[in-house]
Parts: sequence; structure tokens; C-alpha cells
Amino acid sequence: MSTQQKSPFKMKRPPSTEMALQITSMADIFTIILVFLLKSFATGSLNISPSSALHLPVGNGNGEAVEAMKVEISETAVEIESAPVAKLTKFRFAPSDLQPNGVPTPLDEAFNRQKQRQALIAKANSDVQLDKKILVMADQHTPYLTLKSVVSAAAVHGFTDLKLVVVKKD
Amino acid sequence: MNVGGSSGQDFDLNLAPIIDCFTVLITFMLASASFLAVGIIECSIAATAPATADQKPAAIRVDVQMTMQKELDLKVSGKTRIDRKIAPINGDWNTNELIGAIEALKKQWPDTRTMVLAANDDVEYLNVVRVMEAMKSHLPNILLGGL
Repeated sequence: MSTQQKSPFKMKRPPSTEMALQITSMADIFTIILVFLLKSFATGSLNISPSSALHLPVGNGNGEAVEAMKVEISETAVEIESAPVAKLTKFRFAPSDLQPNGVPTPLDEAFNRQKQRQALIAKANSDVQLDKKILVMADQHTPYLTLKSVVSAAAVHGFTDLKLVVVKKD
Repeated sequence: MNVGGSSGQDFDLNLAPIIDCFTVLITFMLASASFLAVGIIECSIAATAPATADQKPAAIRVDVQMTMQKELDLKVSGKTRIDRKIAPINGDWNTNELIGAIEALKKQWPDTRTMVLAANDDVEYLNVVRVMEAMKSHLPNILLGGL
């Protein structure tokens, strides 16, 4: 008599706990995420990266976002195109930096350099024109006096089209 | 007929390194992405506002001065003269009253589209932006003044 016969009461073996990871669907998901991220990068026309210490004011700001020269006003410095050009102490220019007309000398020189650079490019390439636009990223606590000084310095060199950057409410 | 013996052309693409690359790329992009939603307020400078030759000057000029006491000092010059101080309401800028005054002026002089906004030296930029935004839908051209 064979002892190998199956007993009708024998318990079934539990299913294997090993599972194969469905890597194909994971690759699909990753592809979609990657394409989405690349697309969001490509469509963002404005590349603004304010420094961490800068608190931009909150607003709606429905104006057109365009690339322009970036001017950042923080508590300690004024930066043009991410390069510090003038030092501030608690949002104020040092009195020695200010010219009699209220324009800070370091900013006057910096805007002049920017204008000359643009003029040089425009001279070499007829498709490029002098740009009057500037993107002003000022801390929300900046006093109007400081803002006025920066804007005056820009205006002296022809940068009169101001685009004030705010953080959207939503 | 299988001539080549067991050398079948079926093969499994090894997806693991691709997944690795994707993970690194997505992490890098998420880390470098800026999730700051920024808006732009357009304005110009009072002294250098562009004026074309065929453009008729507006009948009135509207100036608003923001003071440290949160008063809005409205001055209108040209075909009419108004000098009015708008007191703060609940300790805040009373932009609603200013809007009312501007709307009344616009009814009389519909070509009014520009406002020169200035502030006292110590008024914070945040407040300037708030008043500017409140007025933007009523007067599209806002110029920074007091320069």
C-alpha cells in the first residue's frame, strides 16, 4: 500500500509570500512624472530665485512676467543680477554712498555698467534692443526712501519700466 | 523551422537601471524646482512716464501721498483742484474711500487713467504694494512719485 496517497484532509500549502515587483508600471509612472517636471520647467518664462532672507510682499500681480534685469533689495544689500552692488544697514544706504540728488553712487555705477553692457550687445546684434525693464524684488519691509533711491538710480540710466515682484496669494 | 537552435530573439529589458536614473533625475528636478508663485505689478516712474506726441494730456492729474499715519493724501490738479486727506479706517489704509473718490473723478473726466503714488520715507514697501494693487483695477497706469 502506498503511503504517498493524498489525504482528502491534508491542508493546502500557504501561498508563497515572495512577490515580484512590477517594475514596468513603476517605469511608466516615473516617465510621466519626469515629462511633467520637464514641461513645467520649459514653460516657466520667468526664472526668479529670491534669496531666503528676502520676504516679498503678497499680492495678486497680474502683470506680464518677462525676463528682465533683476534688482533685489534686502535688509543688508542691493543686488543686481545676483551680484551685490551696494551695502545696506537695516534697509538704509550709508549717508556717504548717497549723492546730493539722492542716488547712491554704487548703484549709479552698477546701472551704468548694465546699460553699457546692453548697448554693447545691441551694437553687435541688431536684433537686440536696449531694455527699459527691471524686475524689482524688494523685501516687504523696505522703506520707501530706499526703494526711491534704487528706482531713481535705475531711472537715471533709462530703466524706467518697473516690474514689482510679489508672491501670489493663492 | 528553428534553424538557429536555442538562440531566440526574446529578451527582457533590464528596467532596474532605468528606474535608478529616473529616480535620480526626478529627485534632482524636485530639489531644484522653485514652488514660489510670483506675480508682477507693472508701474513706471512719474518723472519719466512715456508720452507720445499724439497723446492728449489728461484733464486732471491725480497724486496720492501715503503718510506714516496711514492717511492717504489725495491731490487733484488740472481742470479741478482737490486736496483731501483720507483718514485710516480700523488702523488701516482706507483704500475704499480713495477708490470712491477716484471713481467720482473718472465719471467727470473719463480720460483719467494715471495716478502718481508716492509715500513718506518710512512707509514700508508692503503698504505701497497694497495701495497700488487696490488702485490698479481703477487706474491702470500707476507711476511711482516723489523721486
